Amino acid sequence: MEAKDKNAKPKIKMAVYWGSACGGCCVSVLDVHEALFDVIAAADLVFWPIALDIKYKDVEAMADQEIDLCLYNGAVRNSENEHIAHLLRKKTKILVAYGSCAHMGGIPGLGNFSNREGIFERIYQTTESTVNPDKIRPQTITKVKEGELTLPEFYNDVRTLDQTVDVDYYMPGCPPQTERLLEVFTAIVTGAELPPKGSVIGAYEKTQCDECKRKKTENKTVKEFKRPIDIVDDGETCFLEQGVICLGPATRGGCGVRCIEGNAPCRGCYGPPADSPDPGAKMMSAIGTMIDSDDEEEIQKIVEQIDDPAGTFYRFSLPGSIIRRKLL
Amino acid sequence: MEEKRIGVYVCWCGTNISKMVDVVGVAEEVGKLPNVVVSKNYKYMCSDPGQDLIIKDIKEHKLNRVVVSACSPRIHELTFRKALTNAGLNPYMFEMANIREQVSWVHTDREEATKKAKSLVLGAVARVAYHEALDKRTVEINPASLVIGGGISGLSAALEIADSDKKVYLLEKEAQLGGHTANIDLCFPHMIPARQILGPKIKRVENHPNIEVFKDAAIEEVFGYIGNFNADIMANGKSRNIEFGNIIVATGLKPFDPSSVDLHGYGKLPNVVTSVEFERMLQSGKIETKDGREPKNIAIIHCVGSRNNDYHEYCSRTCCMLGLKYANQLRTALPDSNIYEIYADMRSFGKGCEEMYAETARRKIMFLNFDQREGIPQITKAHPEDCCEMLIEMKERLSNTNIEVPADMVVLLVGMEAREDARDVAHQVGVSKCGNDFFIERHPKLDPVATTTDGVYIVGSCQGPKDITDSIAQARAAAARVLATITQGTVEVEVTTAVVNEDICCGCQTCVNVCPYTAISYDEEKSVSVVNEILCKGCGTCVSACPTGAIRARHFTDQQILSQIKGLMTTEMTEV
Repeated sequence: MEAKDKNAKPKIKMAVYWGSACGGCCVSVLDVHEALFDVIAAADLVFWPIALDIKYKDVEAMADQEIDLCLYNGAVRNSENEHIAHLLRKKTKILVAYGSCAHMGGIPGLGNFSNREGIFERIYQTTESTVNPDKIRPQTITKVKEGELTLPEFYNDVRTLDQTVDVDYYMPGCPPQTERLLEVFTAIVTGAELPPKGSVIGAYEKTQCDECKRKKTENKTVKEFKRPIDIVDDGETCFLEQGVICLGPATRGGCGVRCIEGNAPCRGCYGPPADSPDPGAKMMSAIGTMIDSDDEEEIQKIVEQIDDPAGTFYRFSLPGSIIRRKLL
Repeated sequence: MEEKRIGVYVCWCGTNISKMVDVVGVAEEVGKLPNVVVSKNYKYMCSDPGQDLIIKDIKEHKLNRVVVSACSPRIHELTFRKALTNAGLNPYMFEMANIREQVSWVHTDREEATKKAKSLVLGAVARVAYHEALDKRTVEINPASLVIGGGISGLSAALEIADSDKKVYLLEKEAQLGGHTANIDLCFPHMIPARQILGPKIKRVENHPNIEVFKDAAIEEVFGYIGNFNADIMANGKSRNIEFGNIIVATGLKPFDPSSVDLHGYGKLPNVVTSVEFERMLQSGKIETKDGREPKNIAIIHCVGSRNNDYHEYCSRTCCMLGLKYANQLRTALPDSNIYEIYADMRSFGKGCEEMYAETARRKIMFLNFDQREGIPQITKAHPEDCCEMLIEMKERLSNTNIEVPADMVVLLVGMEAREDARDVAHQVGVSKCGNDFFIERHPKLDPVATTTDGVYIVGSCQGPKDITDSIAQARAAAARVLATITQGTVEVEVTTAVVNEDICCGCQTCVNVCPYTAISYDEEKSVSVVNEILCKGCGTCVSACPTGAIRARHFTDQQILSQIKGLMTTEMTEV
């Protein structure tokens, strides 16, 4: 759609897509509230499954690189996610991995602690509320008398967007903070100079602790790890110094330290700072130095107090980390 | 970014590597990699022509990174770094793949070994691509030195340095100086009293204006690095901090305790004594049995605890000569006695020693040979009707007969072993130990008194069994090394320290307490951690502790290590 007014800036074409996602990222775009009018004034939304009835075939009909900006949220879990990732890559100038799932694998990425069979077994067989004596499982192709029904193929692995297609920028968060989205959007539509390809945008260089107002000292020695419900938080002392695992030091700022402001430790959705390929490993390594014991057995006991270590350290980052998945 | 132009050199090390690794094949294969501009193989990369090859290629092919695949970097990393410097390249643009100690020397399957060598080289190539140029750092040398151990080695080293008008701190664990030499009567092969050698040295050390002696002393902790060490020590119940630029470790040995050698009956038979106890007898001038009688038959047994897989595999180097010395002293002191020298192999190497052996053989000494592989001599109490107190059963090798040797006194020539506290010392001063807990020199031939820690030298028997002659030679050699660094005034130190990226550091302070060298502090104003690069030893503890990735270890960055691993993994691995 061309702008009618000759003096008005040409509108950019923008797409928002969800892969393996919860929908929160798409909602975060809606969360711009009245600023949505500014967005619409500057951009034509040419594809946005959550809000607009535009079909895949409409996208397929577009010229290559016709879309200026695409926010792809969600991980790549199945063949549909993968197909659309390739399609949007072809049709888009600037492809942004939007949100933790596209960036690092996110919550769906925890599926990499299992595989297709493990997940199907649990969901279609062993959950407490399932009755499936015929062991019926979803099939990619089902013949019915009207014809053939198809479902996307469910993969063993959850992948990040950049493990599937070439990505221009990463915008972290679960979901990304709406203010950051507006900043990024404004930069793109005003033609501001963009950072080098491959950069993380809409987040700070420094990690959470830089913004966190809690009192931090060098006294990070832990004799006992606790869950947030186990402590009477004074609201002032660094969570780590209270024995609660907080991923703040290994996680980029930009969210406005919202969890910590709400007296909950950081869970790491904003991902690692530059040059830190594996925030989970970094955090485990840091936690290792905090344990206040030289006795092997005691150390073992202290470590065992960490509730769900894999999910704690790799909650948002498993597919994008060095270990990528559990070996089964 | 500048184009990466890597040169790869695969060394044959004569046949050391080439007999187990297809060096030509490895060089060819690696030459196909992107960024690898030249890939060559050569007989001896460390030789002058080998180094010249690298220098020529750097200039001709505009190489900006070099990989040498040869021996351990402990041996020749510096050699090749220097070659890079000579060619005008930063020495840190170099990586070594060890395909000798880690491949050819330890494998028997040529195909598998070649595959492994290739992996190691691929890892090195992947790593070197991310190397960054680092600038050498120069530090001033504190002209004072610390000598640990007041035995003959420590005393000799201390005097050599102090006579050059440089300050020496001499630490002795015991209340007296002199070490094991103080327990020796005469020294082989010239039979000079040890007292004559040691006495004047002790007196000079104690009165020397440049030497401060600490007795009953122990090191609590050593900090710093070459040129700028300091240590907390405890001497005579008082603690002190001393500063110095170099360390000479002369902590000596421990005599082997033969109680564990059942067949010799030490500890059960009263007149089986060790060479240490026998020296004391010689010093006192009275050679007599426990009940005060003059022994008629005396046997000297060699190799006790030495050259025997049940105890120590190594040769203690001094015992054979000690045995010959005893035979001579006994012949003089007890002209009518029967003296039996029961030996496994006579090792009378060294100036004047073989001559002493020949001389001794002419003095009515019975030499009896045994084969350790067939068992060691067994000592038992004799019957009352026998003419002696003990009987030694042995198979005499040269006559191939089982014999019984009468003895009223048996001297066990006990070997030398590393001291029990060698581990603590090694940890304090940062030297490595071999399997026998003796300290390891930087190079067994080319650098025998230095260690892999700059500014730390090892002399005397803490490095391995040694006689007085060799100990003093080492002590004075180390003193020369120390004086040379002091004379230079400054020394180049490693720059592979940790560094904080202040743009990323979030001020969580996780790193501050983990540093073993107290090199990290917190800058309240900037809210970032700061590494003191003078104190930092580059151990990497803070790097792994840092949750943000703000602390990097220079030359050991995540990117360098991860790409090396990636390179290693590119070769197809087969199940072992």
